[in-house]
Amino acid sequence: MIKDYLPILIQAVVAIGFAASALVVSIILGKAGKRNPTKDTAYECGMLPEGNAQPRFSVKFYQVAMLFILFDIEIVFMYPWAVVFREFVRAHHPVIFWSMLSFVSILTVGYVYAIKKGALDWKK
Amino acid sequence: MMPAIYLEAIVLTLGVLLVLMEAFSNSEEKTPVAWLGIVGLTFVFILTFFTANDLSASPYSAFYHADFRAIFFKRFALLTTIVVLVLSIEYRGVVQKYVFGSRPQAGLGEFYALPVFTCAGLMWMASAVDFIMIFVSLELVTISFYILVAYMRRNAGSLEAGVKYLILSALSTGFFVYGITWIYGVTGQTSLEKIGAILLGLKVSHGPLLFGFMLVLTGLGFKIACAPFQIWVPDVYQGAPTPVTAFLSVGSKAAGFIVLMRVAEVFLPVPWINHKAVTILVALAALSLLYGNLAAMPQHNLKRLMAYSSIAHAGYILIAVACIGSRYANIAVSFYLAGYLLMTLLTFLVMAAVANQAGGDDIVHFNGLGKRSPYLAFAMLAAMASLAGIPLTVGFFGKFLIFYVAYEKGQFLLMGIGVLTVAAGFYYYFKVVRAMYWKEPADDTPVRTSPLTGATIAALAFCIFFLGVYPAPVIRALEGPPSDNPRLLAR
Repeated sequence: MIKDYLPILIQAVVAIGFAASALVVSIILGKAGKRNPTKDTAYECGMLPEGNAQPRFSVKFYQVAMLFILFDIEIVFMYPWAVVFREFVRAHHPVIFWSMLSFVSILTVGYVYAIKKGALDWKK
Repeated sequence: MMPAIYLEAIVLTLGVLLVLMEAFSNSEEKTPVAWLGIVGLTFVFILTFFTANDLSASPYSAFYHADFRAIFFKRFALLTTIVVLVLSIEYRGVVQKYVFGSRPQAGLGEFYALPVFTCAGLMWMASAVDFIMIFVSLELVTISFYILVAYMRRNAGSLEAGVKYLILSALSTGFFVYGITWIYGVTGQTSLEKIGAILLGLKVSHGPLLFGFMLVLTGLGFKIACAPFQIWVPDVYQGAPTPVTAFLSVGSKAAGFIVLMRVAEVFLPVPWINHKAVTILVALAALSLLYGNLAAMPQHNLKRLMAYSSIAHAGYILIAVACIGSRYANIAVSFYLAGYLLMTLLTFLVMAAVANQAGGDDIVHFNGLGKRSPYLAFAMLAAMASLAGIPLTVGFFGKFLIFYVAYEKGQFLLMGIGVLTVAAGFYYYFKVVRAMYWKEPADDTPVRTSPLTGATIAALAFCIFFLGVYPAPVIRALEGPPSDNPRLLAR
């Protein structure tokens, strides 16, 4: 039982060992870099960095992201459902159709609510 | 007779309806949303009395049981939510103050609709007998609580409570799921019934399974707010809007306990788990009793006091959980929770009414309530007496059952700690009573309540005394019709 988890342990050891050895090797072989204020600034593709790294984003970004994840998950559920649909209905019962319909309709209510509340209205 | 599984579907539909009503109605007034919620939930509450209890033929029976306890806790969830909605209407002024939007009552509609979804989650949880089902319904409850706790978003206290609750609750859910994966890894099952059958067999590796069970116990410990997983309780209770605090302390705790009972009933009968698990449960109970009762003593804010008292009550109920295997452990837990519902919700109702007028919920604000509004003061007296466990109140009978079960199982250490801490409880509960009757009021204006709140307060206070004298209805609802099981009432 526990032996089955041995590969996971090996992977963990390899991961930690790789990170540790890379650091150790770079300390031993590499030259110690000199620090100066310009070197310590954030690297942005060679451009001069502008402003703070943690500005306040508009809540609309989060709303769109949340809606995206919601419907993304819906699609994730729908793929396997569509794959097994025909065989399942033939072998068992059309209950699979109604359950997906209820699932989608609950999401639709959420979508209607979001639109009605102006979650996608960027001008406001 | 209707299958029990329709109840949750109706509650969920009601919630969706409320949300749509909120979104589509142009009316400025949002209180009708709460009214519809109350009426709808009352309707479902009545339906529970016409629900079929038998689960033999149901295609869902692998993960959904509708036994007497499940139906009892469904009623429990419905009743809690109804009172929370009443409380929300009473409290709407404060929420409005801290959620300003384009319109005066913006955001209140969701404040009334979200508890209905929580209620659906609680009801599913009452019936869940499969770890997946338990987890999904637990998440439904927790996620709606994340929103509700941080609801007053212009109030620093509510935001602080929201962040603390989010982080610690997510952490505890992590523990819970990790525990489930270990148990699944050993047994290959998520259904509690099948896990129980495998555990009683011989070919199970002990270490990983115990580890999984302890992780599950840790996750549930957060939900029921027992020491040492209680760090979040005082701040979250104080910061959250009062109706949400009431909901958290009753609904969330009951949900945690029903899952704990279902899990413990599978694991505790296994001989090689039993003595270890009981030791841990006894330690948790003793710690919660001592910590909750001792830390409640110096509090001068009533909401914080109720938070520590909630930890203490988790300790009392854990005594009965540690005694699973005794004939009445199940009844003791459920009855205590029912009593806890009545007295806690009554306290919060009176608190909301007083805080509306006085502008705060410190014990000082209750000074002279006996002169200002004797009716509210008497209701509060009933709640406090019951929380302390004075005879003729439901709190006394709850504690009596708990100690009886502990006596039967020979848990004399827990009995001793329990009796001592009850004495400590008298001190801090009666601090409130002393403020109400022996202190001079700051002003003499009586506290106004709406008729609905007044009626709810009267009903809860009546139930506290009625069930304290005649507890049979609750016990009968838990035991079901006569059968060959040992019965408390027949003795």
